[in-house]
Amino acid sequence: MSKLTLSIVIIFIAILGISVYSVNTDSNYGDLKKQLKASHILHKPDKKLHNFSLVDHNNEVFNNARLQDQWTLLTFIYTHCPDVCPTALMDMASIKSKLIDNGLESMPGFVAITFDPKRDTPKVLKTYVRYFDKDFIGVSGEQSQIDKLIKPFGTYYERSIEVDGNTVTIPNGAELPKGVKNYSINHTAWLYLLSPDGQIFAGFPTPHKPKAIAQDISLMMSQY
Amino acid sequence: MFKTMKTTLLLSIFLLGAKSAFAMHHQHNSEQNHDEKLIINEPWVRAAPANAPMLGVFMQIQNHSNNDAKLISADAAGYQRVELHRTMEHHGVMKMIKQDFMPIAANNQLNLKPGSWHIMLIGPDAVPAEGDVVNIKLTFNNGTSQIINAVVRKGKMTMKHHGSHHH
Repeated sequence: MSKLTLSIVIIFIAILGISVYSVNTDSNYGDLKKQLKASHILHKPDKKLHNFSLVDHNNEVFNNARLQDQWTLLTFIYTHCPDVCPTALMDMASIKSKLIDNGLESMPGFVAITFDPKRDTPKVLKTYVRYFDKDFIGVSGEQSQIDKLIKPFGTYYERSIEVDGNTVTIPNGAELPKGVKNYSINHTAWLYLLSPDGQIFAGFPTPHKPKAIAQDISLMMSQY
Repeated sequence: MFKTMKTTLLLSIFLLGAKSAFAMHHQHNSEQNHDEKLIINEPWVRAAPANAPMLGVFMQIQNHSNNDAKLISADAAGYQRVELHRTMEHHGVMKMIKQDFMPIAANNQLNLKPGSWHIMLIGPDAVPAEGDVVNIKLTFNNGTSQIINAVVRKGKMTMKHHGSHHH
């Protein structure tokens, strides 16, 4: 075999290998998507979470490094939320117990980050979040850090106050009018799965279906 | 034969009379107190963390009358405020919207459940524990009110599920 033929064969094999590899890793996870019941793949290799630094409920730093080397199921909450957030946290607890029932070997981390760090201090979150499951981690920190963090998730929130019987919306980042203490927060309530590279991998819209989500999580973890 | 018929007839008249007397009595009562036509089923408070600033209350309100009804307020001792709310989704954003009243249409029912209509207990003196009972006074637009005993329990189970889990 001439050197030229050998080179061609090697190049051909290399191209074949690369194409097979890219089909297998399937950067868009097309095959995986078809099998999922309650999830949207949000994996975008070119879009990374920027660096952030928050504080967990034990006053330990919670940053990108805390999302590395393990899967994480994450949501955003606030504790002055009587309906949607307790439901989301209960759903997370239910997903966790279903993952245990399914015999999942390495459990993801479970994280709830507050939209409302002014009222939800680490101490408040420690009591609140751990009520739903002792392993849940509550995360607070600077509002500006949280506002930056939520963007790539596509998560949205706005505060809502009552002025003379009318509901007024205060956009994300703006100050509350002076003297206003009571406000509620309108917000999206997806759960998110982050892969061990610390990046957003999938999202679960409302209403959450714990059983189907747990099955999807097992599938994603095995086919990642 | 005639005697038997006569007895049966008399008995029937008697029973009919008794029945209508009972119905009248019933009617009389319900006119004084419309609560009998507004029936509250399985009221419950969602168990919450010890520092929860807000609690959700859920139930089913049946309106067995031919008139539309409105729940106009709820009160409970030990809370700063009690409000009527509804969670609504708008383009994926969950909004909690305070309501002036909850409508219960004639011969219909309203389900208060997570993610939908709910009563909000705001600023508890102490968060009730699972199994505790919270007394809540509901006032309707016809001037009647009733006190319900809402049990504190976990879960967002629907009534159906709750029924099947009932021991």
